[in-house]
Amino acid sequence: MNGPAVEIEYLRKRYGGFEALAGVSLSVPRGSVFGLLGPNGAGKSTMIKSLLTIIRPTECRGRMLGMPIGHRATLGKVGYLPEHARFAEYLTGREVIAYSAGMTGVPVRETRGRVDRLLETVGMKAWGEKKLGTYSKGMRQRIGLAQALVNEPEIVFLDEPTDGVDPEGRIDIRKMIEGMKAEGRTVFVNSHLLGEVEQVADQVAILSHGKVIRSGSVAELTGTGKHFEIRTLGPVPSVLREKLEAAGLQVAGDKVGVPAKDAGEVQSVIDALRAAGVVIRELKESRQTLEELFLSAVQGARQEGGQP
Amino acid sequence: MRAAMTILWDSFRLLQAKKLFWIALGISMLVALFYASIGFNAQGMTIFFGWKEFENPLLRQGQPEAAAFYVLLFTDVILKFWLAWIAVALALLSTASIFPDFIAEGSIGISLSKPVGRLRLFLLKYFGGLLFVALQVAVFTVIVFLALGWRTGEWNLTVFWAVPVVTFVFSLLYSVAVWIGVWTKSTLFALLGAFLMWGVALLGQWTESFLYQAAHLVPESGIEFDYRTGQQTEKDEVEKNSTAIDFHKTAKAVVTPLPKTRDCTTYLKRLIKMEERDSMLAGVTFDMLLSGSLPDPKMSGAMKRNDERHSFWYVFGTSAIFEAVVLSLAAWVFCRRDY
Repeated sequence: MNGPAVEIEYLRKRYGGFEALAGVSLSVPRGSVFGLLGPNGAGKSTMIKSLLTIIRPTECRGRMLGMPIGHRATLGKVGYLPEHARFAEYLTGREVIAYSAGMTGVPVRETRGRVDRLLETVGMKAWGEKKLGTYSKGMRQRIGLAQALVNEPEIVFLDEPTDGVDPEGRIDIRKMIEGMKAEGRTVFVNSHLLGEVEQVADQVAILSHGKVIRSGSVAELTGTGKHFEIRTLGPVPSVLREKLEAAGLQVAGDKVGVPAKDAGEVQSVIDALRAAGVVIRELKESRQTLEELFLSAVQGARQEGGQP
Repeated sequence: MRAAMTILWDSFRLLQAKKLFWIALGISMLVALFYASIGFNAQGMTIFFGWKEFENPLLRQGQPEAAAFYVLLFTDVILKFWLAWIAVALALLSTASIFPDFIAEGSIGISLSKPVGRLRLFLLKYFGGLLFVALQVAVFTVIVFLALGWRTGEWNLTVFWAVPVVTFVFSLLYSVAVWIGVWTKSTLFALLGAFLMWGVALLGQWTESFLYQAAHLVPESGIEFDYRTGQQTEKDEVEKNSTAIDFHKTAKAVVTPLPKTRDCTTYLKRLIKMEERDSMLAGVTFDMLLSGSLPDPKMSGAMKRNDERHSFWYVFGTSAIFEAVVLSLAAWVFCRRDY
């Protein structure tokens, strides 16, 4: 099926006088890993919950997997790992996954095989028969991921999947997300851990105060802050430094930052440095990190909104 | 269907995980075994499989009174006190947390994000909670059925009415616990609410019963009671007191919308049919049989009218309406809420 996995035309959610989502619109391409970023309270979880009918949106227009958002049967093609997922302590890992299988209508004869495979995929094969009460946080997240995949969903929503998980576990989860993408699934990840999202996401949207303030592909968004960095042997002479700064370049000690889209624009700076007898020891192309982009976008939004 | 079975199976696993379920089941088994240990011989009644003997002119092997006593022991003592009181209280303690736990943050999301409607999810979860009592009473009643057949030779299938009736009684209180649990998300409030409703309902039913006895049973039994001196005299005919009748009518009107927890279990006596008892021993109580005496026809007639004063509709119909209203409120809160 063609078309985006999720196409939100307009999504609004009010809690009394508080607007959690102020008319959001975004598009999630099929087969991509989509990262929804935002500070705490930005409305990330509210958006996912609205798409999954856990929250009743005040106003919602859009489609998910080609059907109107909220279409009950479509939820059978969706997987979900909630933030701070709480599974019944009296169940074993295998039973948690089997419960999700039953709820999504996976035939009984297929359930056992799928559960076995998923326990293996998430590295919990040896723990499948043990009660959840004996699991660590990381183990619960792995089981949570497995239950989200048991119905072989077309789209998987992961709300803060690495929250409380140790670095090794985070790497594993990242690999699992990459695996989901390789299988052709769309993965929608909510996270405030920007470094991780940057490593796996194709597309991101930044949400602040219930509004999407920036969205696009990771390469496109981080590419807007592309610059070159020149390192010199010893500090840049003060006379030259003043000239470079006057030209809009950033100079700090032995480092010169040149905002430029391609290397051609840097040549004149190199020439000026060389003419002044400065020895260049390093030249590198640098992109804005997702974190820098996020911070500048969120701060910009705060200033626009008149907040400190 | 698959989702429904999954939710019910999950409810069963939840019960299995509760210690109170096994404790209640264990006590049930002991009570049922004690019941099965009661027998009759040529002298009277025996307990603990013949270990102890009690002489009784009425309760002798082969006598219809003995069979009736055996049924009455189930309906008037074990069912009334163990199943309808203690087992229901234990079940409430065990199940009050089901909905508050289910709707907790991080827990409900997984179920709600599946292709199962909220109302269906709510109702299946609710019926899953009723399994606690239904399973207990079912196991208990099977033992009682076998014991009854063994001791009296009567394989009385009507004893199985205990399963739906006691489960219904529990469901009346559980619906209140569910409503408050869904509304407040608190197990404590859910429990308090259910026990409070139980108390209010019992108080109402006791008052109605007491006023009926004063207005109808006592005069119909040929007893005149002086409420100022406390003196009672037996007469052939006693005129009913119109004030007492009015009080009773008012009490009945007040009690009508409440759940009839006590009256439902009392009504069970009428549902468990026993040919001998129903024809010969109408109006005879458990205490009378135990003491080896039978009442005079006037009193037994009055007792029978007392036992049968409420219609099926009054007892079960009004209770079902109460439950439907409370459950609708709970379902409405559950379906409308954001999680």
